[in-house]
Amino acid sequence: MTTTTVPQSTPKQDSIFWRRFRRSTPGKVGAVIVLAFVLLAVFASVLKPYDPRNEPNRYSLRLKPPSVTALWNEEAKQTYTDPVSGKVNVLAAPFGTDNLGRDILTRVLHGTRISLKVGVVSTILALVIGSLLGVLAGYFGGWLDSVLGYVTDVMLAFPGILLAIGFASIFSADNPPLLIAGMDRLFALNSPQLVTAMLAVSLVQIPVYLRLARGVVLSVREREFVAAAGALGASQGRMVFRHVLPNSLSPLIVQGALSIATATIEVAALGFLGIGAQPPLPEWGTMISDSRQYYLDAPWTMIFPGLAIFLTVLGFNLLGDGLRDVLDPRSTQ
Amino acid sequence: MGSYLIRRLARTLLVMLGISLVVFVFVRSIPGDPAVAMLGERATPEAAAALREQLGLNKPWFFNPANPLDAQYPKYMTALLSGDLGTGLKSNIPVLDDLKARFPATAELSVAALLVALLIGMPAGILAALRRNSIWDNLATTISLVGVSMPVFWLGLLLSYFFGVKLGILPPSGRLGTEFDIAPITGFNVLDALLRGQPAAAWDAVRHLILPAIALGSIPLAIVARITRSAMLDVLNQDYVRTARAKGLADRTVTMKHALRNALLPVVTVIGLQAGALLGGAVLTETIFSWPGLGSWVYDAISQRDYPIIQGGVIFAALVVSVVNLLVDLSYASLDPRIQYS
Repeated sequence: MTTTTVPQSTPKQDSIFWRRFRRSTPGKVGAVIVLAFVLLAVFASVLKPYDPRNEPNRYSLRLKPPSVTALWNEEAKQTYTDPVSGKVNVLAAPFGTDNLGRDILTRVLHGTRISLKVGVVSTILALVIGSLLGVLAGYFGGWLDSVLGYVTDVMLAFPGILLAIGFASIFSADNPPLLIAGMDRLFALNSPQLVTAMLAVSLVQIPVYLRLARGVVLSVREREFVAAAGALGASQGRMVFRHVLPNSLSPLIVQGALSIATATIEVAALGFLGIGAQPPLPEWGTMISDSRQYYLDAPWTMIFPGLAIFLTVLGFNLLGDGLRDVLDPRSTQ
Repeated sequence: MGSYLIRRLARTLLVMLGISLVVFVFVRSIPGDPAVAMLGERATPEAAAALREQLGLNKPWFFNPANPLDAQYPKYMTALLSGDLGTGLKSNIPVLDDLKARFPATAELSVAALLVALLIGMPAGILAALRRNSIWDNLATTISLVGVSMPVFWLGLLLSYFFGVKLGILPPSGRLGTEFDIAPITGFNVLDALLRGQPAAAWDAVRHLILPAIALGSIPLAIVARITRSAMLDVLNQDYVRTARAKGLADRTVTMKHALRNALLPVVTVIGLQAGALLGGAVLTETIFSWPGLGSWVYDAISQRDYPIIQGGVIFAALVVSVVNLLVDLSYASLDPRIQYS
């Protein structure tokens, strides 16, 4: 198991981190993709103002192909010609329009916000809860370790998506419990169902972190500096949080980047199955689910939201690989 | 070995008990009244109450002070142990019968998906390891990255659209053309058709399998390629491989007999771990391709609050995962004689 230390904020170690990271091609590509999506999410409202709850009727523009096709397609040319000036606007709807005449690019752009928020929050929740439990199980052992190990075994026996579906269908009632309503307000998601899906995906990831953290702690616990801290009279809490945990972080961070990728896919999958975010929220999985009635004639309604999921997930997977190259060099081949 | 086997079996049984408990509580926590779901929205409260009584849903969950065994969980466990999974609320068909009818479809699809994963993933991983940093290595790494990053449901829709609808070279959904009828023997359409001497039907079944198998197999394929590559690299650097080369054995012999066999252990582990992912992925793949298996069945049951079906389907899925994990653990010893169970 790894014993690499996490980069501290001292200048020397910082430079080691960056020097290694710059050498990792997947890391760099991933970082660029993730950064691009973060910027798109932050500036979505500036680039394309949009309020999913207050949409103008644009039925004349239902299911129109991407506006670039106006360059060679006569029908599309008519659609995207301004009746007043007579000019063809090839950038009117670069990704086409959906069944309600909404611009798909705008919706995909605003979906970035939702997906990033949900992916990051669910991963952080799972990482914090799972690692904490894993550290406790690994450090103290005994009955706590046995009980947590058992619960983990049971949870891992369920196919993740089934567990998430089960959890999401319990709490998808009209009156969300206080916790879910509160998180909905906190993260400004405006959809209790989406929060439920987020928590469901988070729940499924907890055992992964629990196992990982437990394993790392078991190996770190035996090292000399922990024994030294104990000999110097450090309390149990100090030993765990000051000495063991910081030295166990690297694999957790790597797993974290990879989990954001998984979480993004799973939340979208729940949306696709109709259990996560509900229309008109521009969540990517929900958009693909909507498109199922139309994609045979209007494939762009399905292609672009899926492409957005794919690229985001690809970005986080690459970033995770890059972080592993840097933080955990021995596990890389 | 004996005592290890007993402890490992005991743990599997305990986990199954936990699974049954979790599913029991989960299913009963899904909002909405199954009696109303069965009778329709316009049912009178009296009729719903009578039906609840008939189904035993008015009993306490775990413990009835008047009669300890007259509660839902003890009854549910006794029934479960005798193989009685209840009856579908809407269909009125025993859940076990439905399960038996639908499992072969999911199993056939999963086997096909694993075949896709192994037949493409392993050679890709081996090639990547042997020609490290070559164009083949980069290609294999890229394929595996794309595979894990692709949402299964999107890939499924894309495949169904391009190959099924646009190009029309493969059926976009379903399991068998309506013109064919295969009397089941094993439940695997391809096998049954061959056994019954219906090559045209077998070919049609294969054609229906291709697209969903690629969609479902994409993630296992990526993982198998990745693990095979890193396991091969690991093994190829070891002393005994150098010795084998030094004594003049052919490259092919060294790769296939000495290296590959020892690189198989992590690959087997990963395939075992994919059992759960395949059953989960089946929910999405089967929904997209209208595949009449367990995944689409459980998904429909959830939207209709059909308790017994959800219960039976999820317990069965978890059971399959536990058993596969057990088999993977036990197969280690035969693959790596250094491992001894104590």
